[in-house]
Amino acid sequence: MERGELLTSLKDIVGEENVLSSEMDLALYGYDASLERGKPDVVVLPGSTEDVSKVVKLAYRAKIPVIGRGSGTNLSGGTVPVKGGIVVHFSHMNRIIEIDIPNRTVTVEPGVITLDLQNTILKKGLQYAPDPASQKVSTLGGNFGENSGGPHCLKYGVTTNHVLGAEVVLFDGTVVWLGGKSPDQASYDITGLLVGSEGTLAIATKIMLKIIPTPEAVKTMLAIYDSIEDAGNTVSAIIAEGIVPATLEMMDNLVLKAVEDSVHAGYPMDAAAVLIIELDGMADGMERQAGKILEICKRHRVRDVRLAKSDAERAELWAGRKGAFGAVARLRPSYLVCDGTVPRTKLPEVLGKVIQIAKKYDLPIGNVFHAGDGNLHPLILFDERNKEELARVHKAATEILQICADVGGTISGEHGIGTEKLKEMSFIFSESDMHFMRDIKSAFDPVGIWNPGKVIPQRQAANA
Amino acid sequence: MGKIERLTGDLASAIGRERVKTDSDITDRHAVGGLAPSVVAFPKDIKQVKEIVNLAVRDGVSIVPWGSGTKQCMGDLPSRVELVISTEKMNHMLDVDVANLTITVESGVKFRDIQARLATQEDRCYLPLDELGKETDDIICSERTRSGCFLPLDPPFGDKATIGGIIAANSSGPRKLLYGLPRDMVLGVRFVTPKGEIVGAGGKTVKNVSGYDVSKLMIGSFGTLGIICEMTLRLLPLPERMETMILGFASLSEAARFADALLRTKLIPAAVEIMNAGAVDAVCAKAGISAKGATCNVAVAMEGFDEAVGRMKKEMAAMGERFGATARAELDEGGHNPFWLSFGNLRVMDKEKSNDILSVRLSYPISEWEKIYAICDETLASEGLKHTMVCHAGSGVTAIDIMPDGKDRHDLLIQIIASLREGCEAKGGQLTVECAPSQARKSITTFGRPGAVSVIMERLKKAIDPSGIMNPGRFFSLTQQ
Ligand SMILES: Cc1cc2nc3c(=O)[nH]c(=O)nc-3n(C[C@H](O)[C@H](O)[C@H](O)COP(=O)(O)OP(=O)(O)OC[C@H]3O[C@@H](n4cnc5c(N)ncnc54)[C@H](O)[C@@H]3O)c2cc1C
Repeated sequence: MERGELLTSLKDIVGEENVLSSEMDLALYGYDASLERGKPDVVVLPGSTEDVSKVVKLAYRAKIPVIGRGSGTNLSGGTVPVKGGIVVHFSHMNRIIEIDIPNRTVTVEPGVITLDLQNTILKKGLQYAPDPASQKVSTLGGNFGENSGGPHCLKYGVTTNHVLGAEVVLFDGTVVWLGGKSPDQASYDITGLLVGSEGTLAIATKIMLKIIPTPEAVKTMLAIYDSIEDAGNTVSAIIAEGIVPATLEMMDNLVLKAVEDSVHAGYPMDAAAVLIIELDGMADGMERQAGKILEICKRHRVRDVRLAKSDAERAELWAGRKGAFGAVARLRPSYLVCDGTVPRTKLPEVLGKVIQIAKKYDLPIGNVFHAGDGNLHPLILFDERNKEELARVHKAATEILQICADVGGTISGEHGIGTEKLKEMSFIFSESDMHFMRDIKSAFDPVGIWNPGKVIPQRQAANA
Repeated sequence: MGKIERLTGDLASAIGRERVKTDSDITDRHAVGGLAPSVVAFPKDIKQVKEIVNLAVRDGVSIVPWGSGTKQCMGDLPSRVELVISTEKMNHMLDVDVANLTITVESGVKFRDIQARLATQEDRCYLPLDELGKETDDIICSERTRSGCFLPLDPPFGDKATIGGIIAANSSGPRKLLYGLPRDMVLGVRFVTPKGEIVGAGGKTVKNVSGYDVSKLMIGSFGTLGIICEMTLRLLPLPERMETMILGFASLSEAARFADALLRTKLIPAAVEIMNAGAVDAVCAKAGISAKGATCNVAVAMEGFDEAVGRMKKEMAAMGERFGATARAELDEGGHNPFWLSFGNLRVMDKEKSNDILSVRLSYPISEWEKIYAICDETLASEGLKHTMVCHAGSGVTAIDIMPDGKDRHDLLIQIIASLREGCEAKGGQLTVECAPSQARKSITTFGRPGAVSVIMERLKKAIDPSGIMNPGRFFSLTQQ
């Protein structure tokens, strides 16, 4: 289809003001929070499911790529139009459609900001558990696309454990509802397959989420360590002792310093590492659990354990953790987060190896991560303009992911594959594993319009 | 030589003669809805499963995967039954990593053996070990931890079912209220595809977004997309204290007011079950508990820290009085475990009472439970049909066993099921026929209307199983050939 014709048809569907095509606009939609860059042919801002359906129908007939976009905060290139196409930006589809308290569900459009939903339902004594650190900006559509996690996912599970259903637009523009308020029906779990598929199988236009009561009691502790190994060993010891806290987050010295400089959360600047440990649930027995945790920390040579004495103190501890990426980003022009995840018992071993890699490639690496889940986030700091340094960064990142894969872990815990980790997919998947994923892809996307160039690497040429 | 003889011979040379059976006593035992297979294969591992599937693909022979057969009455009848692949000999626990709270097992491992393996050194377990001990003596008792763990699932037939069957049928029980569904426990799977390839997805980490979440697709696919051979599951520390309270009420509405009020408190019960008198009596009798069912009963499982369980008991007893409970029974751990195991075997007991048992399961939005329960109970009672009913309040599921008393009530039953199904579907729910006399099977579909999602299910089934050999017709009659 010719460009002029494409723009006219799209304007007919969503209205002139909702089609962006200036060079400036196209440049703005060419990147996300990863290092990947691309350029779309056009950007549309649909206002309804019907708009999306019509746009997709058009794209299907003309065989033009369609890339769904929330806030573009994903860290793996998931929204970068590497093969051009139509970016469907959900900024206008940001209504909370229904809050159904008796059934404990909410139904939202994909453009709703994660934290906006949270704040709305907290007022009713309920919560949506997944809490990505980016929740102030990220959208629920993006969380759906990436199967995002967050600190509280240790106890409550990640996005997919909270998605009950979705209205989705299929490759030919057909609209279907998957799942719904009846939580346990016989069917293929298509919803489960779509969550985390990074917009490569279908696009969600409404999402139904589970909400749960807020806990009766919460206890938040900051455990301060003089050695990273001790902190890492504490994490696996707590789990092995039969305690699953609501969160078990870790930050190392580099991150602590950066956070203190920008957020002033009251963290000790000279510590090697801290853990943020939070318990929640019924108040009964919590004191005793906290005591047990304190004992385990002491056994692992903790320097000090501070207990948040008020909501304000608790908020301060979390503000530091949630602002950590931003704070570290101020240290150097660019950063790359590795999202490798390992069985939690392997944490101390892998952390040690990450430190060695930082030395080997002469790169500053900070660690701020979901320790209880074994989900590392080594942040490699560098200057993108220095090509030689950039090459070292990519080598270091690949090596870290290889280490994670080698100890029985995986290359992404919550940030997705996108374009960034395509070449590392072979660390954990065989050709037949990927063949199966391609079969799935072919069922959902016969002509290849959905977010091309993401998640599944091209088939290897037979003799390559 | 016929197709089947040749296949049998080739199977024998591929996996060993002793693993390929055509004797009629064995094939009959593996019949599905009266259709006996020609061959039953007993592979020892995933590699052998792959070899078998490849031969079946070559010959276009249909495959029915078989765990322990507890759920073979579920699902539509397969259109062809030629080769059964039994997972019976694939019964190894491959990796028990309690420090990491994961376990990797082959699909033929019995659910009860997993729980027994995770028990504490003092034999505290999520199932009543002494009862299980009578049937099996090969439970491994070494390397147990002090505090113990458990696999947080409580499916029906907990003493017989294999883990592969549980996952393939997405089977769950009352305690999903607290712990969630199989989809929340399965971290990874390895299976053999209908094209004969070994495919793995997921792994030992609780978070994993590398590639598509293929495990989710395999859970509850009733063996129509492949044969699940190995899986990694999430564990939890064994609750410090486990107890049950059963409260009897004179009417459904009183029981409902209690249950709904309980679900609105900050207490965190593991299960809140509404049970009719017949259900309570059968379950208690089997578990050796002397409690007697009132008109309507609420059985609450409490699992957690010592103090929390203590408080739940106290507050619930007080609430019970406030809401007019007429009876209260309290079970400590020694009663709790047998009660819930026996709860999962209610169908087995009901089957013994009637040859023509018809079992259905309704799922619907959770807030509708009282209305659904009332309609079902009244409809069946008004026709004088004996039945047991259990309802997971808070999870949106009701299971009913209807036990007709000999007289031919065929047409009436069909009519009742159709009307209950209509009511359930109108609320966005689903009525599944889990067990029915073969005569009734012919007149009622298992799952009802597949809905809009069947478009995608068909496309997926075709892409993954193009020759339609894997459990054809089993699930929403997909790829009936
Ligand atoms: C500072 C910072 C901190 C972060 N912390 C966390 C964290 O703690 N945990 C975590 O998991 N992630 C984290 N992230 C990553 C990111 O925020 C999440 O991946 C988030 O879910 C992306 O949301 P978004 O709205 O920006 O989505 P986008 O980046 O716009 O899109 C993400 C993916 O979803 C697809 N998509 C978008 N909308 C739809 C739709 N309607 N239907 C189908 N697919 C769709 C896109 O095509 C893309 O593939 C962080 C990122 C940053 C920059």
